[in-house]
Amino acid sequence: MARTRAVTADGKSGMTEAPDGMDPVAGPPDVVRAEGLGFGYPGREVLRGIDLSIGAGELVALIGLNGCGKSTFLKLAAGLLTPSAGRVLLEGDDAARLPRRAAARRVALLHQSAPAVPALTVRQLVRQGRYATRGPLGMLRDGDDEVTARALADVGVTGWADRPVDALSGGERQRVRLAMALAQDAPVLFLDEPTTYLDLRHQLEVLQTVVRLRAERRLTVVMVLHDLNHAARFADRIVALREGRVAADGPPGEVVTERLLAEVLGVRGRVGADAVGGWPVCYPDHPLDPLQLLRNENHIH
Amino acid sequence: MSVLKTAPGPARRAWRSPAVRMSALAALAALVACADLFAGRGVTGEGVRAVLLGTGDPLAEHIVLQLRLPRLLVALVAGASLGVAGLVLQSALRNPLAGPEVTGVTPGAVLGAVAATGLGLAGWDSPTAVVVAACLGGFAGAGLLWLLAGREKGDPEQTAVYGVLVSAVLAGLTAVVLLVAPGELGSVVQWLIGSTEGRVWQHWHLLWPWAAVWGAAAWLLAAPLTLLRCGDEQASAAGLDPGRGRAAALVCAVALTAGAVSAVGALGFVGLLVPHLALAVFGADLRIALPGAALLGAVVVCGADAAAQLLSRLLVVALDADRLTLPVGALTTFVGAGLLLVVARRRTDER
Repeated sequence: MARTRAVTADGKSGMTEAPDGMDPVAGPPDVVRAEGLGFGYPGREVLRGIDLSIGAGELVALIGLNGCGKSTFLKLAAGLLTPSAGRVLLEGDDAARLPRRAAARRVALLHQSAPAVPALTVRQLVRQGRYATRGPLGMLRDGDDEVTARALADVGVTGWADRPVDALSGGERQRVRLAMALAQDAPVLFLDEPTTYLDLRHQLEVLQTVVRLRAERRLTVVMVLHDLNHAARFADRIVALREGRVAADGPPGEVVTERLLAEVLGVRGRVGADAVGGWPVCYPDHPLDPLQLLRNENHIH
Repeated sequence: MSVLKTAPGPARRAWRSPAVRMSALAALAALVACADLFAGRGVTGEGVRAVLLGTGDPLAEHIVLQLRLPRLLVALVAGASLGVAGLVLQSALRNPLAGPEVTGVTPGAVLGAVAATGLGLAGWDSPTAVVVAACLGGFAGAGLLWLLAGREKGDPEQTAVYGVLVSAVLAGLTAVVLLVAPGELGSVVQWLIGSTEGRVWQHWHLLWPWAAVWGAAAWLLAAPLTLLRCGDEQASAAGLDPGRGRAAALVCAVALTAGAVSAVGALGFVGLLVPHLALAVFGADLRIALPGAALLGAVVVCGADAAAQLLSRLLVVALDADRLTLPVGALTTFVGAGLLLVVARRRTDER
């Protein structure tokens, strides 16, 4: 399906910010744009005043400590939560006001984990990704399943399409869920910690699949990662969140510093450069003690 | 099943096709229905055959055509309703141990029917009033669960706890009604256990359109139900509003259950266990598994009815009793309890 989602197909130009999308001729509007975005539960503020634009074709890694609001940001941007302040624009429309199915046609969100579903086969699960496009009655018919077939093939799971999902290993299951998200055929892909619970080999496998698919399908990808080294290596932009605010935003070479380690991730460590690829590599040494963290907090506010 | 799965060759491949399985099941349903037609007291096998060939005596004709046939049809449709309702509930609440009995739906429907009978608003001879009362009760029971579960409706453990709670309270209320207004205690007890005794054409005429409409509605929900089985997070990410989908599914399940309960009473374990059989036989594609659950439910209830009648006859001989009727609900409960144990054990093994 050809969508009006041109430009930045070279995969590297994502760092240059689109000039605000005011002029429809000048360039693509931001695919995702948060304006003064805030969210909180009673007694706990999760996000406060986030301003962030993500252009078409970018691969952004969101990093930060547990509870800093990374997953919440993804859910807000996918229209799954309603912000308590500000708004998120999804291809120009307020995400929270889009009907559920319309939002799911624009963004596919892969949650961190999913419950086991007895008896469901790989093909049946991946096919569920078509719901956003086909709707409850359209799903009753077979047909247009080449999208499903392509999604299965793209993550290399065609071979086990008829196996039950429950019988797969964690890494295999993650690829299948990625295929389900791809079957949504949305131009934007959000991944919430796609590598959690996976061993190193499967972590690399999933991340490389994401990088390849992003190039092949010209996706805009935002993923929450815990491993800063993965973020530095695979993303072309890193957004660090801290206490519900954007603490750093830029290409890995600029963002990944010892200061970032200390202030955002709460560890003392060193940062070097990869001998072959040149991307930053960090060597965390010690967790900072709470007192030091507190001092950093004062320093930031 | 395991033999079939390991046996190679074309037979196994044919058996994999849902159409073949569905046909086999339909044949089984027909077989069980015949068995049910022949199982009762009063008319011998030859008598039934004579009636079917049009040569029976008037009394036998009355028994077979006015008593046994409607009873058989009601049993089939009630079983189908319960099977579908169970699968819809288990999918919507994402709980394999959910069923109409433990989510307040059946107890509510029973309470409605018993209360209406006790108040003299309805009786055995006015099936319409009983259907209305049972539906109101079923919806009230499910509504109570809906209110109690609040925001945690997607959480299987929480809804299970609330469901048991609601069911217990409603069963208690039923007991209170029975104590205050015992009324026709005999017929009320049949309600509580579930029985197909004395079902006539009037019941059938009320039951089948209701079951057909809500069964079709449930089938149209196959896609949202499949997504709900994948969990609320995945469902909403894929474009379904889980709250709305679940509400629609619950309305279907309650309507189907209430219809079945108003016709045959609270048949134990059918709605709880038939869905497991359906998923095991037809897989997770609910477009196929929902009709499959209907057929399986029909086979189970009708088969249990035939078995209960045969057992009653044996018991009469063995105990030298004058008249003894084993209600079909007692049989489904006994067999169901055993099967439930198997299901629960298998689940703990899987963990």
